Amino acid sequence: MKPPRFAYYDPDTVAEAVELKARFETDAVVLAGGQSLVPMLATRLAKPDALLDINRISSLQQLEVGPTHVEFGALVRQYQLETDPLVARNVPLLAAVTHYIGHVENRHRGTVGGSLAHADSAAELPTAAVTLDAEMVIEGPAGRRVEAARDFFAGWMTSTIAPDELLVAVRFPITPADAGWGFVEVARREGDFALAAAAAQLRLDEAGRVSEIAIGLASISDRPLRATEVEAQLLGQLPTADAVAVAARAIEEQVTASDDMHATHSYRRHLAATVTQRAVLEAVGRAQEGNRS
Amino acid sequence: MTSDTTNDAFNDALARAAEAAAPSGGQVKRKYIGRSMKRVEDPRLLTGRGGFIADQKIAGLTHAAIFRSPVAHGRIVSIDATAALAIPGVIAVVTGEDCRAKMNPCMNFGPSTIPQYPLAVDKVRYVGEAVVAVIADTRYLAEDGVDALDVEFEELPPVVNPFKALEADAALLHEGHGSNLAYERSFTFGEVDEAFERADLVVSDTLHWGRSAGMPLETTGAIGKPGLNGVLEIYCNSMNFSYFVWLIATALKLPSNRVTINPVPAGGSFGSKFTAHKVPTLAGFLALQVNRPVSYVEDRLDHLMNSDHHASDRYYEAKLALTCDGTIVGMDVDVVDDYGAYLQFGVGTHGNALSQGVGPYNFNNLRYHLRAVLTNKCQQGAYRGFGSEVHNWVLERLVDQAAEKLGMAPEVIRRKNFIQPEQFPHKIPGGNLYDSGDYEAVLDKALSMIDLEHWRKEKKRLREEENRYIGIGLVTTQERSVFSSTEFWYWFDEPAFPITSSPESATITIDPSGEFQVLLHSQAMWGNSPETVAAMVVAEEFGVEPDKVNIRYADSAHALPGTGPGGSRFTVMVTGAIRGAAKKLQKKIIEIAAHTLEVPPEDMEITDARVQVKGAPEVGLSLGEVAATAYFFALNLPPGMTSGLEEQHTYDHPLTTLPSPDRSDLGIFYPIMGHNCHIAVMEVDPDTGMTTWLDYVAVHDAGTIVNPITLGGHVTGGTAQGVGTALLEELAYDEDGQFKSSTFLDYLIPTANEIPAMKLGHVETPSPYTEYGIKGGGEGGRMATPGVISAAIDDALREFGMHVQNLPVKPSDIVATVLAAREQQKEQRS
Repeated sequence: MKPPRFAYYDPDTVAEAVELKARFETDAVVLAGGQSLVPMLATRLAKPDALLDINRISSLQQLEVGPTHVEFGALVRQYQLETDPLVARNVPLLAAVTHYIGHVENRHRGTVGGSLAHADSAAELPTAAVTLDAEMVIEGPAGRRVEAARDFFAGWMTSTIAPDELLVAVRFPITPADAGWGFVEVARREGDFALAAAAAQLRLDEAGRVSEIAIGLASISDRPLRATEVEAQLLGQLPTADAVAVAARAIEEQVTASDDMHATHSYRRHLAATVTQRAVLEAVGRAQEGNRS
Repeated sequence: MTSDTTNDAFNDALARAAEAAAPSGGQVKRKYIGRSMKRVEDPRLLTGRGGFIADQKIAGLTHAAIFRSPVAHGRIVSIDATAALAIPGVIAVVTGEDCRAKMNPCMNFGPSTIPQYPLAVDKVRYVGEAVVAVIADTRYLAEDGVDALDVEFEELPPVVNPFKALEADAALLHEGHGSNLAYERSFTFGEVDEAFERADLVVSDTLHWGRSAGMPLETTGAIGKPGLNGVLEIYCNSMNFSYFVWLIATALKLPSNRVTINPVPAGGSFGSKFTAHKVPTLAGFLALQVNRPVSYVEDRLDHLMNSDHHASDRYYEAKLALTCDGTIVGMDVDVVDDYGAYLQFGVGTHGNALSQGVGPYNFNNLRYHLRAVLTNKCQQGAYRGFGSEVHNWVLERLVDQAAEKLGMAPEVIRRKNFIQPEQFPHKIPGGNLYDSGDYEAVLDKALSMIDLEHWRKEKKRLREEENRYIGIGLVTTQERSVFSSTEFWYWFDEPAFPITSSPESATITIDPSGEFQVLLHSQAMWGNSPETVAAMVVAEEFGVEPDKVNIRYADSAHALPGTGPGGSRFTVMVTGAIRGAAKKLQKKIIEIAAHTLEVPPEDMEITDARVQVKGAPEVGLSLGEVAATAYFFALNLPPGMTSGLEEQHTYDHPLTTLPSPDRSDLGIFYPIMGHNCHIAVMEVDPDTGMTTWLDYVAVHDAGTIVNPITLGGHVTGGTAQGVGTALLEELAYDEDGQFKSSTFLDYLIPTANEIPAMKLGHVETPSPYTEYGIKGGGEGGRMATPGVISAAIDDALREFGMHVQNLPVKPSDIVATVLAAREQQKEQRS
C-alpha cells in the first residue's frame, strides 16, 4: 500500500492551480483534505502523474456570510461546518449533516470542496448541496462559472468539473428563519458511509400546510437525488404522520443502487422510504416549533 | 466422578495432577495474585517504544512486496518479470518455481496431499494467494516491481460454495488429494439414536457462522537475515516459535541449529499470529535467495486477503433432544466447514468444539459429524475461540429454541441442566474433563447485576406504548483453556506426529545485586500481559515489588521447551513454569541463608524479599545479601553448592491423557474449564434493522484471578469481537470467488460506538490442577456474545418470526424478515 511515483505541485494561487490542471488534464489529481484520495493512492486505485496540492491557496480557505448566501471556499475544513456558530445559525441543516461525515479526525482534514468534487453519492455534503440548492463556483482557463448542485453531480463519482477546471467554492442559501429541517442517516457503524440518508427542509403556511419542501437522498443511486415525487405529494398538504408515511413510499421508485455486501436493493428501497419519512417528520416538528415560537 | 468410564490410569492421572497443584504449606493469603495491577508493558507501548517488526533497523535491509492472485482458481501459465527487473532498485523476483526447486512444502497439520508453499506453485487457489515476491531497496520500489509484472493465468472454475465443492463434477483444488473433501469423520459418544428416540422434544436448526478474523493493528511480518556460521536469523512477530522453528528449518532445508528465530513483540494477535509460519518462512527463503536481509511485512491488503487467519466458516444441521421437563438428553451435530484452499491447522478447531461439546450441561449423548471442505478462499487460521465459540453459539441457539417451545425462561432451562458443583471433576462425552465449576453461582451473580423483571416489563410497555422493540438474551457458555496438543491429531487413526507435549518454561535469575530477571521462552509480547503475569508471580513468590522484575524473551537458540500462547493457556502455563523455577530458587536461597546464619533450613521462610527465621523476622538476610554470597563468595556456600542464583523450570501440561486407539474416548485435552453468563438487552429497529444496546452484563469464572483489570480487558475485548462476528464483520467472497472485504471500508470492525457499556462480574472457582487454581480467560466475551446477540434480536422481533440463523446478522436480513412477516399479516387480513 505505497503509491506509485508522482510529481508533486503545490500552487499558491487558483490561477496557478488552474494552469497546472490545464497542463495535466486527466493525469493530475487535486489533493485537498486527502481523506478519500490518499487511500486511493496507497492502494494504487489512483495512479496520477501529478498531484496538485491546493492546501497553500489561502483564498480557498474563506467562509463568508453574504446577504442571501453563505460561501465556503473549497478548502474550508468540514469541522468548521460542524462547529462554527455562523454555519449553524445560517444553514443549520449543513451543520447537522456534517457531523455524520466519517469521524472527527476525518472532518479536521476533510474539506468542503474535496467532498463535493469527489461526488460520492453516499456522502453527506453532496446530499446537502442538492437538497439546499447550493451553487458550485468553478474556475477554469476561461474564468469562473456557477453551476447548480442538481446539475453538478453527473454520475457515479462524477461531476461536471472539466479536467482543466477547479472547484473553488460552494454557496449555500441562507435558511429562512421559519424553515424546519431534518436529517436521518443509517450506516452500519457510526462514521461509515450511509446505507441511505435523507435530508429534508420545509416551511409551513399559517394553516400548517407544506408551502416549501426539499428532500435529498444519499446512497440510493449513482448520485445524490432530490425526492421530487415525495416533495410533490407533500406540497400543499398537512404533513400528518400518515400523509408523510404514504408520500415517503414514493422514493422507492428512485432507488437504483444494486445489491452490495452491506445492503440489498430491496432493503435500500425500504430504508430510503424509512429515512425519508423520519427526516420529513423531524423537519415538520422543527417547523411547527419554529412557527409556535 | 460422575462418569461410568472410570479406570485406574485415568484416576491416577487426576490424582497426580491434583497433587502436583496442591498448595505447598499454609500459604493461602496472597499479596499480589488477585490484585488489580497496571500492566508493566504499557509505558513503553504508550510512548511509542513497542519495538515492532516494522521498527527494526537492520543495515542493508531490503523489502519484499507480493503479487497476489487476482483470480480465485487458475493455472499459472507464465510470469514475465523483465519489466520489473528493469526498474532501478528492484533486486530480485522470486516465484513458486524457486520454492519448489529449493525448499520443502511449509509445515502443515493437515493431510500431506494438501501441500502448500509460501508462493503458489503451478496453481493459484484463492484471490490474494501469494504468487510472486519482488525484492527491492524500498517497499515503494518493490510495489512498483509488482505492478510491472506480467503474470498470465488460465482460469479454472471457481469453487466457492462448500456444498457444490462436494458435488462429483466440482473442479478439484488439489488434484493430488483427489477430492475437495479434505477430511471427514463422525464421532458418536453415548447412545445418541436412543436418546433422540426417547426424547419428548427434538429441536433442530440450520445455521451458518460466517467468516471473520482477528484484526490486530499490526499485521504479520518477518525479516530474514543471513547470519554468522550459516545461521539464518529470522525476526518475526509470529508466536509459538520455539514450538515450530524446526519445522521452518525443515521447510527451508536447513538443519534446525542453522535457523534462529528472534521474537519481536506483536501489535496484537487474537489468534492471527498463532503459529503464523508462512510469513517468517517466506522472509527467510527470500533472504537466502538474495543473501541479504529481507523484510516482508504484510500491508493491510496482504493481511486481509492472505494472512491465513480467516476463522471458522461453518454450516450446521444441529439437533437437540430433551425430555418434556426441559432436561437435555442428547445433541447431534452435522457440520460442514468451509476451510478454504488449504488446511494448515488440520481440523483442530473442531477439537476445540469437542472439548466443551455439551457446554455447561449434564448430558451424555453427543454425535459430531464433520466434513472439512476445500474451496477457493483463503485458508482458515486461528481466531479467539478457535472454533469452540462457534459450537457455543450452536448449542445456545438450540437451547433457546427448546426453551421457547417448552415455555421456559432462558435462565430456567439452563439452570435445570447445569452440571452441579459436586459433579466435578466431570468427564464429558468424548473424553475431555471439566476440572471444576459452579455454574449456578455465575448465573446468580449475572442475574443479580441486571433487573430482568424491569426489562421484561419494559419490553411489554415499550411495544404497547411506543411501538418499540426490545429483546433480552441470556446465554451460559464454556470457556475451555490450556490446550494439549492431542486435539490436533486424534482426528486421524494413524497420525503422522502424535505429539503429547505442550509445555511452557521460565528462567528466574537473581543477579548479584539481588535484582530479578525472568526469561520467557516461547513468545515475545503479543499484546497481552505476559510480563505483568510473570512479574506478579515472582512478586508473590519472593515478596518483591512486581515493577522491579525485568522480563526478557529468549530467542529460539536459547529457548527451553515451550508451546506459546494460544487456547488461553499462557497464564496457567507460565505461572506453573515460574512457580516451578521459584521453588528451586527458594530452596537454594534458604540453604545459603541457613548455612550463613547457622539455623536449620526448615526454620526459614522467604517474605518481602528477605529470607528469615519463622517467628523471628529480625534474624535473616536480604535477597541481595544472599545473592552476593551466591555469586562472589563460593567458600561461604554450603558444601557442594555451585555459584550463581538462577533456576529454570519446564512445566508440562498439568492434565492430559492419551486418546484411546479406537477413538471412542479422545482423552483429556482441554481440562481447565472456565464458564460465563452474558445477558444482553437490545433494541432493534424493525424498519432499519439497526440495533442499539440497552444493558449488558458479563460474568466470567476463570478460576483464581491473577489480575482483575486485565481479565476484565479480555472479557471486554472478546465481547467487542463477538459483536463484530455477530453483527458486522464478514470476510465475503462473491460467486466468482472474488474477495469483497479487502479493506476496512467493507470489513467492519466494531468501534467503541458499536459495543455495549458492560457490567463485568467475576466468580472464582479455582482449578484443582493448576498453580494457585488459575484458569485461562483469554478468549473472553467472544465465547458468549454471538449467542446472546442472536437471542436478544430474536426476542425483540419474535412477533415477526425473527430467528437468527446466519452470522453476521445484517440490517438487511432483519428488515427482510420484518417485511415478509408484514406481507404475510396483510395477506391473512385480506
